[in-house]
Amino acid sequence: MKLTKEPGSARSGIRDWYWQRLAAVVLAVLLPLPFFLIIAVYTGGVDQLGLLDLLDHFFSRLLHTLLILALIVHAYMGLKVIFEDYLPQIGWRVTLIGSMLVVMSGFGIWWLAIIWAWGG
Amino acid sequence: MLSHGPMSPTVSIYRWRPTMIASLAHRLSGLLLVLFVPLYLWLLHGMTGSPEDFAAAFDWLHSPLGKISLWLLGVALTYHFCNGLRFLSLDAGWCESRAMMRLSAKVVLGIAVIVAIVLAVLL
Repeated sequence: MKLTKEPGSARSGIRDWYWQRLAAVVLAVLLPLPFFLIIAVYTGGVDQLGLLDLLDHFFSRLLHTLLILALIVHAYMGLKVIFEDYLPQIGWRVTLIGSMLVVMSGFGIWWLAIIWAWGG
Repeated sequence: MLSHGPMSPTVSIYRWRPTMIASLAHRLSGLLLVLFVPLYLWLLHGMTGSPEDFAAAFDWLHSPLGKISLWLLGVALTYHFCNGLRFLSLDAGWCESRAMMRLSAKVVLGIAVIVAIVLAVLL
């Protein structure tokens, strides 16, 4: 079989693979927490004061920061692989992967600004 | 156009197997989860705002759209979490035999179905 160098955006597959797994382990620990938080609010188990107490805490800010960083790494790599698998047109790939990077970085900055402004 | 080779998971060529369904469902649930990130931030923004903002977010969660979103989020998260652990264990070299891969694919899909039913009853 002929080896072809695909014009993918990963220089080395191993590096992407490694970061994807590292972020996955972080998310496996952290991602269920926001879901339980929303469920707690939904059921009325946590009211607004309780929620603010939980969120306005250095530890909560740190975990949210880790969460958004791991989410961006994991979602970026995951979506990139999907684009590379199903979009044969290079133009579309580059456009979508590029805009994804821009949207995700902007979103991450917005998220961090909100998190670190709580109660401040 | 890249003309060499078929596109990766060529849905129309491969036979439908639990392992293939598990992989496709992992991508699908991953895509869904990406959409929930802005929703979570929007909810947090509302819930940490004024008491009226909190009440609005609370009411939205209890609206039909809110309940469907919570259900979808719960199912997608459960599935992506369980199958993600399955993928990590495969990477580590555990349970790599064909029979084990098919069995574990059925197990994670089964867990997602059970959670979908439980959440539908509870929410």
